[in-house]
Amino acid sequence: MTHRMGDPSRRRTVKAINLLLPFTPVRARWLQLMLLLQACLAIALWALSGSTTLPSPMEVARAWVDLVQRQGLLFELWASVKVSVIALLVSTLAAVAVACLSTAPVFMPAARLSAAMRFLGFAGLTYVFMLASGDAHSLRVAILSFGMFVFMVTSLLAEIAATPRERIDHCRTLGMRHWRITAEVVLLGKADVILDLMRQNAAVGWTLLTLVEGMTRSEGGIGAMLLNQNRYFLLAGVFAIQLTILTYGLVQDALLSLLRDSLCPYGRLGQEGVPA
Amino acid sequence: MSMKHPYTLGQRLLTIDKVCVSYDRPILDGVSGTIDNIQREGMQQGQVVCLLGPSGIGKSQLFRCIAGLQRPTSGSVRLNGSQREVQPGEVGVVAQNYPLFNHRTVWGNLMVAASRNGHTAEQARQRCLALLEEFEMLDTAKAYPLALSGGQRQRVAIAQQLLCSSHFLLMDEPFSGLDPLAKTKVCETIIRVSTTNELNTIIVVTHDVESAIRIADTLWVLGRERNAEGKPISGASIREVHNLAEMGLAWDPDIESRKEFLEMAAALKRRFATL
Repeated sequence: MTHRMGDPSRRRTVKAINLLLPFTPVRARWLQLMLLLQACLAIALWALSGSTTLPSPMEVARAWVDLVQRQGLLFELWASVKVSVIALLVSTLAAVAVACLSTAPVFMPAARLSAAMRFLGFAGLTYVFMLASGDAHSLRVAILSFGMFVFMVTSLLAEIAATPRERIDHCRTLGMRHWRITAEVVLLGKADVILDLMRQNAAVGWTLLTLVEGMTRSEGGIGAMLLNQNRYFLLAGVFAIQLTILTYGLVQDALLSLLRDSLCPYGRLGQEGVPA
Repeated sequence: MSMKHPYTLGQRLLTIDKVCVSYDRPILDGVSGTIDNIQREGMQQGQVVCLLGPSGIGKSQLFRCIAGLQRPTSGSVRLNGSQREVQPGEVGVVAQNYPLFNHRTVWGNLMVAASRNGHTAEQARQRCLALLEEFEMLDTAKAYPLALSGGQRQRVAIAQQLLCSSHFLLMDEPFSGLDPLAKTKVCETIIRVSTTNELNTIIVVTHDVESAIRIADTLWVLGRERNAEGKPISGASIREVHNLAEMGLAWDPDIESRKEFLEMAAALKRRFATL
């Protein structure tokens, strides 16, 4: 009798096996539980690995305390957060402005050119930005903004290109014209996409930050601190800083998701697991 | 004039004058037609014209020309007997997938349309409220379009277009993919909209012959000339006009039980094969 489908333990087994199958609908609570288990498993593997090259979790924890108490890790983090947030806002505003302008044919080539600049290397641009910026802080903001802008404008132009003709026709049937259509379709209609791109770009920004802060180490910042730890092979310190950045990144990601869901609640309607 | 449902014709409401659309080949070739105001004693009787034709004949091109979304290669579409060509926004358009602004609530969708017509905020609010009440959708005012059913979306899309167009409504394949019950509901909605204002004029583009006969007072059949081998030798034009009002087949709630209905539907379907 224990093998009958009606048996609750049997049903649980069948459901657990289904988790291995692609696109199996799953409750949020199950996902959270799996996340917790897998994180614990990763930490346990790390602790028990006995690797001589990797620092142990305890060494990383001690290095973190030392970095906070003696080297001002949290102050450096705050300095980097300020640069990252300013650059995120500047790059978003610029990318949205360029994307809106691109709806007029005359501005389209310039918009595409600005998106193509994502192929340019930072090293070759530093001198130009240095000449244009008054101080090290402005230089950081300028380079980071540029780095985020080119990726965001690329994504936004792709979004605009994917806008179906009937959406533009719909605006025209309501008597809207030209820039009013741009405002409705791009600014308002893609607000949820813009906020989601901001979330993704914030993450891109943190990967670029180390590089940018490395160019102007005198200004400090968590990226400069990471490079210094790396330089002297202080691996426990490197891990501690990376984990700090990871934690901050996850919090920032969650906050931006919350902002998107609050401002654009329609964005998730009809998605998998969200009742329409 | 039909003896069963007497009516008279009033002012001219819409003129389609020798509309041609060509790309690498002619799509529409001299499409002409007129719609006049139908007047019936003691009621607000609007006009419902169904544009019939097989798939790929050019119905959507004509649809876009009547909506003012596309300039014909030659010819013109004029409203209310004016000399000016129709402009986008003068004719409401309800496309097949009922486009709405997904980032606005139902109320927001209606208000953005109502405020486009030069109304004050209070006037716009009153008109939106009246339409929501008319379509029995007051309880969905705060919902987003993606949370609505297909039928609800269609009603909001119709309401939105009625708010800013001047009594004209174009509907593209409103019966496509619907089950019989849903088709009946759409027919009821179209009839309801057409009878709320004397000047309301609905042009329905469809290839659903039965539904077209149920709701229309006039049928326009779009077709092409063919050579002896049956190959089309021209773009499409209106090949037949069936005045259902004149034939006593319009405005009859029991039309489907009549022999003439079945005969006409069968004849039109046979005709489709030759268009």
